[in-house]
Amino acid sequence: MDLLTTSVATVESEGEPYTLVELVGEADVTNSDALRDVLDAEVAKEPRTLIIDLSGLRFMDSSALHVILRANRAMDRLGGVLALAGPREAVAKMLRLTAADQLVPVYPNVSDASAG
Amino acid sequence: MYYTYRSDLSQVRALVLKHAREAGLAEGKTDDLVLAVSEVAANTLRYTQSAGTLAIWHDEKEIVCEIHDEGIITDPLVGQRDPGLDGPGGHGLWLVNEVCDRVELTSGADGTTVRMRMLLRPSEAGA
Repeated sequence: MDLLTTSVATVESEGEPYTLVELVGEADVTNSDALRDVLDAEVAKEPRTLIIDLSGLRFMDSSALHVILRANRAMDRLGGVLALAGPREAVAKMLRLTAADQLVPVYPNVSDASAG
Repeated sequence: MYYTYRSDLSQVRALVLKHAREAGLAEGKTDDLVLAVSEVAANTLRYTQSAGTLAIWHDEKEIVCEIHDEGIITDPLVGQRDPGLDGPGGHGLWLVNEVCDRVELTSGADGTTVRMRMLLRPSEAGA
């Protein structure tokens, strides 16, 4: 079983459609290149909104955080918005400590994130 | 307990989690210690070609996780400065210093040893 699985969907909500990337497992330096490839591919499609669902993520290290912040900068440049949804306590604390939560909006769940 | 790792960071984290729980470390501090050890072990993968060693022990006051690898750190202030989020990286050791009660880093010709300590109970000073 892979340490980290990613799945991507385009969600047609009542408002704007958005891209949803779901991460399940543990995100660390051993899979951050693969995560970067997944996020790069989605950012390149220039969605208005890209939501990363972190609720299935048991662990995230600083290399995974850097990949997410890199995607955030790319979305900014393209005029879109990246949002994080549903981090568990350990991941939420890491986002606070690094002040990443000041750069990327963090919501309790995907439906709040999609409502903006 | 000693464990030699190369790329199996998930196993490193599982061992820290198991021992921290056995030692009675609080839940939030356990998450912090798992993050800290994983960040240091990740540097073994990034900066060395060889395996690293994890040692864990505890007494009634504290739990200690020690990572040793063949990497050599030349910056005496490594991990002491907030690297800023727009930089190329370097959050790992900074986070380690943020979350641990005490961190001791020694580096020389024999490689680098990082000892991360967590108090099992809050001290009188409220640490």
